[in-house]
Amino acid sequence: MNFLVASIESLGAKLAGWFTVGYDTFAFLAQASLLLLDRTTWNHATFNVVIKQVYFTAVQILHVFLGYSLVISWLIISIILSTARDFGLTAFASEMTIRVLVLELLPFLTALFIALRSGSAINTEVALMQVNNELDALAHCKVPPMQFEFLPRLIGGVISVVALSGLAGLSALLLAFLSIYGMNMAGFESFTQTMAKIFDFRIVAGLLVKCTLFGLAVTLIPVTAGLETPKKLFMVPVSVLRGMMRVFFAIVAIEVVSLALKYI
Amino acid sequence: MTAIAALPDDVARVALDLPLRANLSALDNIALIPLYQRHYGASESTRQAQAMLDQLGHADIALLRDPDMTPAQRFVTKLARALILKRPRLVIDRPGAMLYDVPYPAFIQLLAAQNSMSGIWEIFDFSWNQVLYHQALHSE
Repeated sequence: MNFLVASIESLGAKLAGWFTVGYDTFAFLAQASLLLLDRTTWNHATFNVVIKQVYFTAVQILHVFLGYSLVISWLIISIILSTARDFGLTAFASEMTIRVLVLELLPFLTALFIALRSGSAINTEVALMQVNNELDALAHCKVPPMQFEFLPRLIGGVISVVALSGLAGLSALLLAFLSIYGMNMAGFESFTQTMAKIFDFRIVAGLLVKCTLFGLAVTLIPVTAGLETPKKLFMVPVSVLRGMMRVFFAIVAIEVVSLALKYI
Repeated sequence: MTAIAALPDDVARVALDLPLRANLSALDNIALIPLYQRHYGASESTRQAQAMLDQLGHADIALLRDPDMTPAQRFVTKLARALILKRPRLVIDRPGAMLYDVPYPAFIQLLAAQNSMSGIWEIFDFSWNQVLYHQALHSE
């Protein structure tokens, strides 16, 4: 009986914890969105920090990211082409490539890439700021941490994921064309027709929304996880661990919901 | 300590529990105030921050980040940040905890003696350190 009571209590505590985390995350997002609409937020200082964030998140890693996305794209395209040839479905190869790579795999991998590189760094930095009282010091100086520290990270994350996914998608399209038709422009019309058939307004809007949600997930969750850190230095790794697990589940959940909405 | 916690908003504090932003240079830490509070441009804010460091006689620490500073340099940066807030009162909270590498009453006296240091400076310290302040005053 005691075991049953303890199990129910533990489950209840976990559910309450998840609810609190979810509520805090959405409350933070609502606060950030309201500030985004506030005219005073858009001063030189915030704008400069946003530019820096985009540089650190997207531009600084551009060559590594492009190399990584080109290798993955080439591998996937090769697998799709060889499978299509084996089954006599070569006519569908370009559509398959676009659907699998550009719409699903590359945005997902971009989000994972940014999460591992920048999300973990953001989580650690915010946790350290929380533990070291740096946020209290900013508040004492009347420098709003939301405008100076958090909002630029959210905006930078969203811009970076959208831009890098777009860039990876474009390079994958070019690679797919070259792999299927080579340097011959004869297939250009058929390839662009396939693209036009796939990229209708609903799909493009869905892709944009998905990338925006990925961008938010890889920045918003690390920031809120960092802010939850108790003021004890040894809790920083625990905070990063929790934050990154939540980021992973959020990215997977967004991808699953996007797939379900498109294909079910 | 309760007196410190209850200080009103018009007091600028220099304290161990109000650290600098670790990933910003001394100059950037100070320039944040004119940038965010008075909405100056980046170059004007940096100029004001540099002028404050010059005034305190520590222009050379401008590009140092918190982990690269000595305790005295860190204190000067915090003091410059507090001064640029332009609040009527400035409270230095337990300076011995921040300035453990210099004879701090004399060091603070030297900083306060720099040109155009206006406003009221108050030092909150443990009573058993009072003798250090007497020594600094009588050594003049």
